[in-house]
Amino acid sequence: MPREFLGYLRADGSAGVRNRVVVLSILGLTAGPARRIARQVPGALLIATQHGRGQFGEDRALMRRMLVGLGRNPNAAAVLVVGADRLRLDAIAQAIAETGKPVETVALDDLHEDNLALSDRGMRLAAQLARDASRARRVVLPASLLRLGIECGHTDATSGIAANPLAGRVADRLIDAGGAAVFGETMEWLGAEDVLARRAATPEIGHRIVAAVLRREAMAAASGEDLTGNNPGQENIRGGLSSIEEKSLGAIAKGGSRPVQGIIPHAAPIPGPGLWVVEGPAFSPPSITGFVAAGAQLVLFTTGQGNSYCDALAPTVKITANPATARRLPQQIDFDGSALLDGTRDPEEAADALFAQLLDHASGTRSWGEVLDEGDYALARLGVDF
Amino acid sequence: MAARYDLLALHEDDDVAVALRDPPAGPARLKAGGAIVTLTLAGAIPLGHKVARHAMPPGHRIRKYGAVIGEATAGIAAGEHTHVHNLRSLRGRRGENTP
Repeated sequence: MPREFLGYLRADGSAGVRNRVVVLSILGLTAGPARRIARQVPGALLIATQHGRGQFGEDRALMRRMLVGLGRNPNAAAVLVVGADRLRLDAIAQAIAETGKPVETVALDDLHEDNLALSDRGMRLAAQLARDASRARRVVLPASLLRLGIECGHTDATSGIAANPLAGRVADRLIDAGGAAVFGETMEWLGAEDVLARRAATPEIGHRIVAAVLRREAMAAASGEDLTGNNPGQENIRGGLSSIEEKSLGAIAKGGSRPVQGIIPHAAPIPGPGLWVVEGPAFSPPSITGFVAAGAQLVLFTTGQGNSYCDALAPTVKITANPATARRLPQQIDFDGSALLDGTRDPEEAADALFAQLLDHASGTRSWGEVLDEGDYALARLGVDF
Repeated sequence: MAARYDLLALHEDDDVAVALRDPPAGPARLKAGGAIVTLTLAGAIPLGHKVARHAMPPGHRIRKYGAVIGEATAGIAAGEHTHVHNLRSLRGRRGENTP
């Protein structure tokens, strides 16, 4: 089994699997000029929040973690930070520049609120960053530098039986090679929280996992939702799921079997090698964006019926074990695991093959989502607008 | 390609196996760990549904993925469909079961 890939070694010792210039707009006011800058510099990736003011407490801290984390992600070769006020702009630029990557800034306030002057100056800076970034070359790097986000979306009976355990075996392989894997969707641990807690590296981490699930349950209850009421739902029951425990065990199977090193807040940096779980949203777009802000360079995404969502900055590798889905969506599914379902493919062999394919995507082979430019991001909120 | 087995125990110690296709009543091939054995099904089992690998008394804590997914609400025979009619979640009664 291969244990190396071709990647971009960054100044801080991390590894990029892509080499993007990111135009990062940290304020809803500057999203327009930032979009114009990214459009004028082919290959540049726009990441723009629609918010940035009137946010307080945890909500503000989360927005900052996401913006800084996406800028720090090793797939970003360089970052142009676009904003209005110098104070906030420089603080975020500084936090990204700690990685040693080139960071430039443009502020609306410096240009007397002239949005065209902002995009003109920004375009020149982004062009220079793009030219400099193109000097980077891929070199052989160990798989231990990879941070993998694992997600599932539009699941069905085949997900819990085959696709999620397959993703889990790949996570085990990466962790055994010294890398890191992360999964979230806290709400979907409901019923399996004790199992997950028993897999924690320490009892303290286990307690924190159970507490996170109870917190989500309480948050839902405060919104008038009973998470255990109609769970599993009628569709789940038709698919063969009999209890919430069974459904959740199928969901957490995608994290594999290695000890859980810790539970981290949404979009907080992955602290080191091994398996980590994220206290975060269950919906794929914000969940995946959180993994990428946490440092994941690659995403493994399992689906039952199909799900086209991909991350903009981290190649997203789609796998299914549903034969009809694999047949119907040949330009969406990157890895067809359906032979696991008819008992003709050995699960360990399939995991070896998918792990090798993942390293191949890390080395530059494009996922279907990249070929078709499906990539996107979703910045989660925790509060109201003041 | 011919299928080698119809049912899979996701963990070697599981009480139930999951149907990989739609095996009819009668003998079916079951993979558990490295071995493939025969289990006689009481009725047809739809894809994704579970079947008991051995007889279980009422109250038995049923395992899948190597973990408890609920308890038997009735006696379940080997080869019998195991679902919401004879298995119930323990999660709703969390307060009673955890210190």
